[in-house]
Amino acid sequence: MSEQSLLQVKNLSVSIDNELPILHKINLDIKPGETHVLMGPNGAGKSTLGYSLMGNPHYCVTEGNILFEGQDITDLSSDKRAKAGMFLSFQNPYEIPGISLSSFIRNSYHAQTGAPVKLMAFQKSLKAAMQVLSMDEAYADRDLNVGFSGGEKKKAEILQLLMLNPKLAILDETDSGLDVDAVRTVSKGIEEYQKKKDGALLIITHSTKILESLHVDYTHVLVKGNLVCTGDGSLVDEINANGFERFISEAE
Amino acid sequence: MSENKQAVVEIDRSAYEFKDIETEKDFYRIEEGLDEETVLKVSAEKNDPEWMRDHRLKCLKLYNEIEMPKWGPSIEGLDMNKICSYVRHKSEMKGKWEDVPEDIKNTFERLGIPQAERESLAGVGAQYDSELVYHNVKDEVAAQGVVYTDLESAMRSEYADMIKSHFMTLIPPTDHKFAALHGAVWSGGSFVYVPKGVKVDIPLQSYFRLNAAGAGQFEHTLIIVDEGADLHFIEGCSAPKYNVANLHAGAVELFVAKNARLRYSTIENWSKNMYNLNTKRALVEENGIMEWVSGSFGSHTGYLYPMTILKGDHSKMEFTGITFAGKGQNLDTGAKVVHQGVGTTSVINSKSISKDGGIGTYRSSVVIQNSAKKAKASVSCDSLMIDSISRADTIPGMDIRTNDADVGHEAKIGRISDDAIFYLMSRGISEEDAKAMIVSGFANPVSKELPLEYAVEMNNLIKLEMSGH
Amino acid sequence: MNRDLDMKVNVLPVLTYGFLKVNDSAISESDIKIDSLTTPDAKKMPSGIDVKRGVSFKEAGEIFEKNKDRIMYTTGVPGAPNADTTSRNDGQAIMTGMGIDVDELMISVDAKCDIYTAQEGIKVSEPVIIEYKMNDNEGSISSQVIHAKKNSEITVILFYESEKESAGFHGISTRLLAEDGAKINLFKIQMLGDKFIHFDDIGGACFEGGSINVTSLELGSKKTWTGCLVNLVEKEAELNTNMGYLVRDDHFLDINYVADHRGKNTNAVIMAKGVLMDSATKVFRGTIDFKNGSAGSAGDEQEDTLMLSPDVINRSMPVILCQEEDVDGRHGATIGQLGEDLLFYMQTRGIDEDEAKRMMIRARLDSVARTIPDDELAQKAKYYIQNIV
Repeated sequence: MSEQSLLQVKNLSVSIDNELPILHKINLDIKPGETHVLMGPNGAGKSTLGYSLMGNPHYCVTEGNILFEGQDITDLSSDKRAKAGMFLSFQNPYEIPGISLSSFIRNSYHAQTGAPVKLMAFQKSLKAAMQVLSMDEAYADRDLNVGFSGGEKKKAEILQLLMLNPKLAILDETDSGLDVDAVRTVSKGIEEYQKKKDGALLIITHSTKILESLHVDYTHVLVKGNLVCTGDGSLVDEINANGFERFISEAE
Repeated sequence: MSENKQAVVEIDRSAYEFKDIETEKDFYRIEEGLDEETVLKVSAEKNDPEWMRDHRLKCLKLYNEIEMPKWGPSIEGLDMNKICSYVRHKSEMKGKWEDVPEDIKNTFERLGIPQAERESLAGVGAQYDSELVYHNVKDEVAAQGVVYTDLESAMRSEYADMIKSHFMTLIPPTDHKFAALHGAVWSGGSFVYVPKGVKVDIPLQSYFRLNAAGAGQFEHTLIIVDEGADLHFIEGCSAPKYNVANLHAGAVELFVAKNARLRYSTIENWSKNMYNLNTKRALVEENGIMEWVSGSFGSHTGYLYPMTILKGDHSKMEFTGITFAGKGQNLDTGAKVVHQGVGTTSVINSKSISKDGGIGTYRSSVVIQNSAKKAKASVSCDSLMIDSISRADTIPGMDIRTNDADVGHEAKIGRISDDAIFYLMSRGISEEDAKAMIVSGFANPVSKELPLEYAVEMNNLIKLEMSGH
Repeated sequence: MNRDLDMKVNVLPVLTYGFLKVNDSAISESDIKIDSLTTPDAKKMPSGIDVKRGVSFKEAGEIFEKNKDRIMYTTGVPGAPNADTTSRNDGQAIMTGMGIDVDELMISVDAKCDIYTAQEGIKVSEPVIIEYKMNDNEGSISSQVIHAKKNSEITVILFYESEKESAGFHGISTRLLAEDGAKINLFKIQMLGDKFIHFDDIGGACFEGGSINVTSLELGSKKTWTGCLVNLVEKEAELNTNMGYLVRDDHFLDINYVADHRGKNTNAVIMAKGVLMDSATKVFRGTIDFKNGSAGSAGDEQEDTLMLSPDVINRSMPVILCQEEDVDGRHGATIGQLGEDLLFYMQTRGIDEDEAKRMMIRARLDSVARTIPDDELAQKAKYYIQNIV
């Protein structure tokens, strides 16, 4: 417990394009290796929190701050946050025509480490990571997310997670729109990440499918932009059984 | 930002100063038009055959008669008298390395070009050893029976008749004022003949040839690919070429015979004082294939629309082009195609990027004549606006004269979305690199058509242009 | 006629290659014939709309002159497109698709203008209907101004017809001003005789949140020129144009439509669909111009031409001009004959080729005709189309 925090969110309030605030005074503390789950009904502001932590310029921090390994990163641009060791898996990853998935990962890896990428070694580990995710190797040479199905896009995100190996991964609705098999594959990828390193996770989700095979340390419930409840992994089961009703009525 | 502006002001001034070399003021009066004496002098220097001398004089007459084009970018900044005096006294017009604009020197630096080559590219140094490379290539393809030589000596060789029957038949001097000018004063350029059935394995590159000739202002390229033959020809290079006189009015005439295939790739990066009024045209016979790959990065003002005449039945044309219009540039580019034969196909894919006040115009024409039954034409042009002080205009034209044709056209103008930039930045890529990556991706359909070393150079160029120097 | 020159009309906003012959068009002076200079009485005049009749063309333009600075708003960022021609129309009270020569003709012959005004806040959904019933060898020139004040709405149908074999001349200029939040719906249905010469010019401006909708059906006439230019001056102004045409025999149709985006978040849709038969000629010019300052705007032009004879000439010039980063501009064109797959599909349902063609012609034009907000006129148009096919 005395271990130093990886991510600290203090009193964070956020609005979009300077309009009404969406998040109110959020507090979070994630330590290395911990897995946190952020749950809540649709429109609660879960994705907003993910975007804000990663520094999307559309989201404006109106109050509070974000600390990563003790450094205040509230005003840092996204690329600097990534270099510091943060990762966000997007709910709807962008399609970038003309850049292949593998060259994108190589570019990102190079940007983050500054070290030259050894091509053979890189390709070997890319191949291994794709195998974990049961991804057809042909995807490596296809344009980033262009023409990928929903499931393939999500796998491509987790592939990046495995290759970039961040200290903290924020997974935004990584299970949404996936069939049972795909959820299992994606979970396998996430497990791999947990295993590989002392990697911390913040999993944003409104369903519990993806959590079945993962160990969860903390569960947070977000309703209407407020963190209304924090508990351990068992909270997931309670939500699974009873839904968000209780939290919504409490919030009102 | 203010630093950048300062730099440009300086470049402009240095370019301006460059135009007023003292010796020139002392020796020449500005004269109207271009006179017979000058043309005859060029003709004598070139040791023209009689027909070529007569052709030059005919072109001169047309040049002085034909009006400037009414459409397209302004060419008011072009000093025609200067051009004429350059034609007259070319050998004396040698610049000094100190006079080469800073931006060009910087680009050489950033592209990592050796000093000797830099001086050659800037037209101020000794010819660098490209001549050797050229001769090696020439010998290698000669073994296959391919003729690859300069047009001037070819005119006096066994190919004299072939040249006479093709020269400026595709681009007649009556076409426009600069075609006539070209006809009158052309000098230098390549002649390639690929005999029947010969497939040339290595791309031939005019880059070496033009440097070896030390010119490239009014050069004429004539390529004849005979039945069933196959050739890839590459013109230009990604390093900026600096020329004392700022008009480039070259002509490229390509003849693609039955079942033959010709790919003509160009990376153009003239220095940013250049008025590039180049004319390129191909005639394609039955089942022949003409492929254009074109990247336009340099020049102050550009008019460039490679034209293909699909004469033979089932002949095909594919054009893939990219234009990057940056600060101070007005690049008007595109393609033209005329469908004559039955079942002819054309595909035009164009990309353009406008930045820092640059004007990028996509201009094209697709003509389907009544004889071109079952013709298929598709045009797709995408423009990317990097900021709100630039321009991206799309001016395509279509003239369809048969119902039995299938014509599709698509145009899009847009920008780099903030969300896409954020996505890349969330992976640790800086904003500048993120933009450059997206633009490279946008340009990828063109770069993937180029040989690897050219594609790499093109990507470097895009990075350079995106960083705004 | 005291004019001694042909009219130069439908000039492309930016010139291109001369050989395409799309840079402009000319109405020959000898074709112009004038007996009448006025707009006929409205056949239907809903209450709530004010009419001022017989005003001089110039005087009627004052409402635009007064607002000229507002209408021609620019951010002042330099950089005109290459070979820009718009300055030739500087003398117009409001720029129109056909251009200044129409204004000069109207003024030189002292054509009269009727002004239809919807007062502030008054929304009239019932259309004003104006019918031109032309006789053989008759010539008419007339003009209208339609002015929708703040938050008002007005619908006007202009309908022109004459006997099938008749000849004559019919020229019309309609200028539109939709103020803040106002809406103008204009319908033009042209069913003139096979020897008629016809021109139809439209120019307009939309202020904040205003919208102009122009629907036109070009079905008759030997030669037709039609142009429409609308300035989307302020934020959220909108232009929707929808044209259906049927050009047959040796007839000629020349079109110049322009959407000038000046304000933020403005929207324009230019649609043209039609059918070319026999040895007909059609020239379509469509321009979407995103001027600097029009951030957030979208413009889309779509053309769909069905060519039914090997001898038709179809020229298209879809232009997008853009000096603003944050815009969405699109153009698409489909030109050709009936798709083989579609034909096959229809044949498997027992429809033969000719009938399939007829169905497809009707489908294109009826989709425009059915939007006419007057049953009788919509029926008339449909009947006309049916008779030809």
